[in-house]
Amino acid sequence: MSNKIGLIVEREFSERVRKKSFIVSTLLTPLFMIAMMVLPSVLMLKGNSDTKNVVVIDNSPNQFVGKQLTSGKTVSFNLLPEGEALGKARMQYKSEYGILVIGSDILDNPQNLQLILNDASSMSVEENIQSQIQGILRTERLKRYDLDNMDQILADANVRVNSLQTLKNNEQEDDSGMERTSTTASWAMGLILGMLLYFILIVYGQQVLQSVIDEKQTRVLDVMVTSCTPFELMMGKILGIAVVAALQIVIWAVLVIGASAFIMPLIAGQADMEAMTAAATAAASGSEFTGVLAKFTSVSYLAGLFLELLLYIVGGFLFYASMYAAIGSAVDTPQDAAQFNGIIMMPVIVAIMVMMSVMNDPNSTLVFWCSMIPFTSPIVMMARIPFGIPVWQVAVSLVVLYISFVLMTWIAARIFRVGVFMHGKKPTWKDLGAWIKMK
Amino acid sequence: MDPILRIEHVSKTYTGHKALDDVSMEVPRGSIYGLLGPNGAGKTTLIRVVNHMTIPDCGKVWFENHEITADDIYQIGYMPEERGLYKKMKVGDQAVFFARMRGMSRVDATRKLHEWFDRLGLSEWWDKKVEDLSKGMAQKVQFITTVVHEPKLLIFDEPFSGFDPINQNLLKEEILGLRDRGATVIFSTHNMESVEEICDDITLINKSHNILSGPVDEIRRKAGGNTFLVVYSGDTEQFNTSIDGKATLIGDSEGLIGGYTQQKIHIADDSDVRPVIGALNENVNLRSFQEIIPSMNDIFIRAVNGAL
Repeated sequence: MSNKIGLIVEREFSERVRKKSFIVSTLLTPLFMIAMMVLPSVLMLKGNSDTKNVVVIDNSPNQFVGKQLTSGKTVSFNLLPEGEALGKARMQYKSEYGILVIGSDILDNPQNLQLILNDASSMSVEENIQSQIQGILRTERLKRYDLDNMDQILADANVRVNSLQTLKNNEQEDDSGMERTSTTASWAMGLILGMLLYFILIVYGQQVLQSVIDEKQTRVLDVMVTSCTPFELMMGKILGIAVVAALQIVIWAVLVIGASAFIMPLIAGQADMEAMTAAATAAASGSEFTGVLAKFTSVSYLAGLFLELLLYIVGGFLFYASMYAAIGSAVDTPQDAAQFNGIIMMPVIVAIMVMMSVMNDPNSTLVFWCSMIPFTSPIVMMARIPFGIPVWQVAVSLVVLYISFVLMTWIAARIFRVGVFMHGKKPTWKDLGAWIKMK
Repeated sequence: MDPILRIEHVSKTYTGHKALDDVSMEVPRGSIYGLLGPNGAGKTTLIRVVNHMTIPDCGKVWFENHEITADDIYQIGYMPEERGLYKKMKVGDQAVFFARMRGMSRVDATRKLHEWFDRLGLSEWWDKKVEDLSKGMAQKVQFITTVVHEPKLLIFDEPFSGFDPINQNLLKEEILGLRDRGATVIFSTHNMESVEEICDDITLINKSHNILSGPVDEIRRKAGGNTFLVVYSGDTEQFNTSIDGKATLIGDSEGLIGGYTQQKIHIADDSDVRPVIGALNENVNLRSFQEIIPSMNDIFIRAVNGAL
């Protein structure tokens, strides 16, 4: 690295870190993040008490459906006596959530089912009612075959598979040391990291853009371009802001982890904490998270994974930052930058959509190519890597990503050099192409 | 002496607009060189060509007897017309940063800069932010950052704009001092008085052409065209007959307070002034006899209007 790049990095870093806005955002963002973590839990606890009351008018023989409906957290059922008139009920129970009307021929005609609402419709309520009634009808229909030990058959048939153990083939006869993998957990982890990268791109990429525009607006560039090459200037700015970003994120991580360990119990209060822990345990039981925890106990696996993801976060940031630098070079004001901004966000959005599809097949053709192309690879790879993909793919994709970063910085420098002297004129795409080719 | 900078037939066209058209000039080593011209004449483009910021369409720029390269620009100190400093940065930090960008060590830069800050009365501003400086002070800071690394060639674009007369003088002294210590200075300006005072040579650019080049004294004398202003008392007729054949009258005579008359005359190029003075001295009471050397201001206006 040339001495000048180092100097620019140093300046960019020390100026930014000393700014009030840096200090404020460094301290406030963790508070915001903690609030985002606490609020949903609190709301969830509150939300539980908000059970919807549904009045049931059951016209089925002997009210066999209504009698089997079970009230739960989501819906509570109130079965009216046989022969209750709907019109009267509509007037009487207008303050309840709704009235469920079950037709007399429900067993043969399952469509004869109505939910009359006094309130906004709720997907969870509808799902709850539908699945309950479906179960009841299925059981009743089976009973019509009049088999001897019906109840036992039903109980026996009611099997659920929800703990498929997935293992990575270790290509050895001995099955010890095979790693457990987990689709859900891998995907969740990739999703979180992908979102983190997206966040970093938006926040710090904009800073690169602003920094390059500032250079032009303060007219420092005339002096700068007679002291260093535009490439050195661009590279210095991008790396400088990258160091700032790294520092800020590390501080945030430390603060958030520290805060959630020590402060959160105090804020939330002991009782709430217990309730939350109970809720979390309930949610996790039977899911795959326990298996995943087991997987993540392998320190070397964790370290390797972390290193790979880190390389992608850094590379992804650098590549996108260089695109922002190119845009900053081409325009004079942040307003002008807006027309190009969408161009940057498009591949990011595509990448996030592809990332969602990684769960279905982490090795599909689409996913493979998107994890090679530098525009999408940092985000898509976030989701792919935890699934365990061949090392060569990671290597190739990383090399492509970092080469693209240097290349894009070079292009940004070219645009900068020409754009510098084109004040007041908004460039067209054709102009940009000509600038890059210009000697 | 060989010129430090030689510009040969440089042309530069921007989309549909010719900024420089076959411009040539030579800047003698150790001189103060004025680059003059109306707004939009192409001065800034020429400076950018020299600074290697703009590549000319054709023509060559020679620096120190070789074709100029990107590395040479680090031996050039450039103060652009539109001053640029990082507004939020502290003055001293910023000056050190620019000095280091141009190859000075931190220690050297800090020491040299403190000397300069003391000399230009900026010491107490070292730890202030640039945005807190007045325009004149920011200009001084910019000047210092341009010269602190002691480049061989200095280029100032409108160095005096934004300065009060006291600071203009201060800056003038500093520029002369830099020249005396061996630097070559090019500066572009509209301030013709400063050109007369400190420039050794000039080039005047108009509509992308070099229309006038050379040493300031020579240009002014030549533009004067051997005209003289004579003040006398006595008979006008006698005055006219006594110079007959030796010089020609320009315009009418003008009466002055105290019974004096003033008259402009033209003496044929290369001829001696002594016979004219001799003849006049015999016939009228000669009060003064003085060559008319036009101001750079006149020359500028006449040259730009094509009347030179």
